[in-house]
Amino acid sequence: MNDIQLPPIDYAALLPMLIVFGLACVGILAEAFVPRKHRFAVQATLTLAALIAGLVTVIINRDLEVTTIGGAVTIDGAGLFLQGIILVLGIVAFGLIAERRLERGGAFVANAAHAADSDGDKKQLNEAGATEIFPLTLFAIAGMMLFCVSGDLLTMFVALEVFSLPLYLMCGLARRRRLLSQESALKYFLLGAFASAFFLYGVALIYGYAGSVQLVAIKQSVLDSDKSGVLLAAGLALLAIGLLFKAAAVPFHVWTPDVYQGAPTPITALMAACVKAAAFGGLLRVFNVAFETTSWDWRPVITAVAMATMIVGSILAVTQTDIKRLLAYSSIANAGYLLVGVVSLGGAVGSSMFYLVAYGFSVLAAFGMVTLVRDADGEATHLSRWAGLGKGSPLFSAMFTIIMLGFAGIPLTSGFSSKFALFSSAWDANQSALVIVGVLSSVVLAFPYLKVVVLLWLNPPGDETPTVSVPGYLTRAVVGVGVLATIVLGVAPSWLLDMVNSAGTFLAK
Amino acid sequence: MNPALTGVLADGGVTTGEAVTFWILAPIALAGAIGMVLLRNAVHSALSLVLTMLSLGVFYVLQAGPFIGMVQIIVYTGAIMMLFLFVIMLVGRNTRDSLIEVLRGQRVAAILLGIGFAMLLGTGLARGIGSIPAVGLAEANVNGNVEGIAKLLFTRYIFAFEVTSALLITAAVGAMILAHVEKKPGEKMDQKVLSRARFEKGNYPGPKAGPGVFATSDSVATPALLPDGTFTERSVSKVVPARELTIAEARPKAVNGSKEYGAIK
Repeated sequence: MNDIQLPPIDYAALLPMLIVFGLACVGILAEAFVPRKHRFAVQATLTLAALIAGLVTVIINRDLEVTTIGGAVTIDGAGLFLQGIILVLGIVAFGLIAERRLERGGAFVANAAHAADSDGDKKQLNEAGATEIFPLTLFAIAGMMLFCVSGDLLTMFVALEVFSLPLYLMCGLARRRRLLSQESALKYFLLGAFASAFFLYGVALIYGYAGSVQLVAIKQSVLDSDKSGVLLAAGLALLAIGLLFKAAAVPFHVWTPDVYQGAPTPITALMAACVKAAAFGGLLRVFNVAFETTSWDWRPVITAVAMATMIVGSILAVTQTDIKRLLAYSSIANAGYLLVGVVSLGGAVGSSMFYLVAYGFSVLAAFGMVTLVRDADGEATHLSRWAGLGKGSPLFSAMFTIIMLGFAGIPLTSGFSSKFALFSSAWDANQSALVIVGVLSSVVLAFPYLKVVVLLWLNPPGDETPTVSVPGYLTRAVVGVGVLATIVLGVAPSWLLDMVNSAGTFLAK
Repeated sequence: MNPALTGVLADGGVTTGEAVTFWILAPIALAGAIGMVLLRNAVHSALSLVLTMLSLGVFYVLQAGPFIGMVQIIVYTGAIMMLFLFVIMLVGRNTRDSLIEVLRGQRVAAILLGIGFAMLLGTGLARGIGSIPAVGLAEANVNGNVEGIAKLLFTRYIFAFEVTSALLITAAVGAMILAHVEKKPGEKMDQKVLSRARFEKGNYPGPKAGPGVFATSDSVATPALLPDGTFTERSVSKVVPARELTIAEARPKAVNGSKEYGAIK
C-alpha cells in the first residue's frame, strides 16, 4: 500500500497546458454564474487571456528539455515549438470565432437544441450565439498541446479524444444551414470514433510487442525484443490509421470536404490550421521517436499514402465549385506534402514545422475571407458567386489573390519558401520520388487557385455577385495577420527557418 | 493471488475451467456482436450488445483482471447500456430500417472488406502471439489487481487520468448544448398565467378529448371523435405524426360487425 509514490512532476514544464485547461474550466463556471449580457465579454477575455498566457509560458520554457511524470509527457524543443504554433494559430482563429459584427450574434447558433427550421429556430435567428464555444475551444487547444508532447501512447490517446470531442460538437453549431452543419458533426463524430478504435487496437498490439506504451521503450524494444514482428507491423498499421485520419490523408480523407463545408467557417479555420499542426506534431513524434529504427517497414506504406494524398487531393481540388470544398481538398493535398516531411524523418522535422506555420496562417486568412463574402442567406460559398468580385472590392480581391498565390507556391510567398524547404530536406533524405510527385501535384494544384484568381478579376460581375461585408475589426485583424505572414514568410523566411532548425528535434530518451 | 481463484496459472498456461468457460462464452459473445449489427429492432440490438459485454466482463475476470471485469459489468452493462435502452424506449423504437443503399454495392463491399480485415488481423495475431508465453501477470497482480491498477493510474498515468476530466466536462457541456433549451425570463409560465390563458375568451377550457380510447382502436395516433362524429385533430399530440405511421396503422381498427373500414379479411 505504501509503495505508491507519485513520480516527480515538473509543473513548470506543464504550466502552458495547465493554464489553458484551468481557464477552460473557469470558462465553464463563468457560463453558469456570469449574467447573460456580460457572458460574451467575459468568455472572450478569458479565452484570449488563456491563449496568450499559454504562449508566454511556452516562450519562457523555450530551452526546456525534460521528461516528466514518469515519461508520460516529454517537453522538448520540437514539442514546445508545436505548442507555440498551436497557440499562435489558436489566437488568430479566436479572432474569427469571437467575431460578431459580420452577422448578428456571430457564426454560432444560440440554442442548438431547437430543431433546424422549427418555430423556435426561426425565433432565435437574431439571438446572440452560444458562448460555450469559448471554453470548448480552449479544451480543444489544450488537448492539441498535450497531443504534441505525449510521451506514451495512452496519454496521446486521451489527448486525441480531448481535442476531438469539442471539435465534433462545434462542427454542429452553425447558425445558418444547420442541417448541413449537424450532418457534418455526425459524420465527423462517427468516423472519428471509428478511427479512435483503430488507434486503440494498434496501441494494444504494440503493447503486446514492446511490453510498454512509452514511445522511448517501444524504440528500445524494436532493437532487443524477441517477439514476432507481425505484432509490431499490425500495431503500427492500426496506429497510423488513427493518426492519418486526423491528418486527413488519403484514403482516410473522405470526411474532410463534408465537414469543412458543413462546419461553421471559424471552426473550419481552426481545424485546418491548429488540428493539422497537432495531428502532424503527433505523427512526427511517433515516427521519429518510437519507430525511427523500423523505418524500413513503414516507409514504403507511408510513402504510398503520401503520394496518393498529394495526387487525389490536388486532382479533386480542380473539380470543385464551392470555395470551402476547394480549400478542404487543398488541405488534403497539403497533408500529403506534410507527410513527405514525416517520411523524411529527422532532417525534415524543422521544415515540416515551418510548413505548418506558413500553411496555418494562409489558411486562416483564406477562411477568414470566406466569411466576408455574404448575401442575405449567409456566406456565399459557391464559386460562381465570386465572379467579378474584383470590380467592387479590389482590396479584398487583392488580398485573396495573395493568399491563393501563396497556396499555389509562387515565389515571394510563404507557400514557395515552405514547399522549397520541405522538398529540399526530403531530397536530402533521398526521397526523390516523393519530391517529384510533390512538385508535379503542386503544379496541378496551382490550377484551381489560379482559376479563383481569374474568376475574381477577369469575369464580369453578375447581378448575383454578393457584397463583401465591411469586416469587423477582429476578422480584419485575422485577415491582415494571415496575409502579412504569407508575404513575410515568403520574402524573409530565414529567421523562422533558423528557429525551427534550432528547435527541431524530439527528445528520445 | 490464488491461481485456483482466478483460474490463471503463473506461467500463463490455461486451466481447464478457463478453457471451458471461454469456449462456452466466446460463441455467445460473438453471436451477440453479430446480432447487434444484424437485428432490425433497436432494443434487440442493444440487448445483444449487453450479452456481448457481459461475456467480455467474465473474460476479464477469468484473465485475472477482476477489477476491470466488474467495472465492465457494473458501469458498461449495468449503467451505460441500461441508460441507452431508456433512451431508445423514450425516443421511440422504429423497427423499420432504411434499406435504400445510397452508394451502390456499399453493403456488399463493406461486408467483404470487414471479413477480409478480420481474417487478416486474426491470422496476423495468431502468428504473432501464438507462440509467446504470457509473462508478467504475477508481478502485475502482486498486491492484488485493484492496487496494481491504482498504482498505474496514480503514478505514471496520473496526467492522462486528470485530463480525462476535461473529456467528461466536454461531454456534459456538449449534451447540454445539444439538448437543453434555455428559457428566457418571460417565457416561463407559472400557474396563474396558465390558468388565465385557459379561461381566456375563445379557448375551450374543458379537458381535451382523449385519443385512441374507442373500441375501434387503441392507437394514440387515432384522433378522438367529437359529439357530431367528426375527428378532432387537437386530440392527437403534435409529436405523433413524426413517427410516420402508415395510413393503415393510423386508421381505426375494424371491430366485429363494422363494415365501415373494411379491414376484416
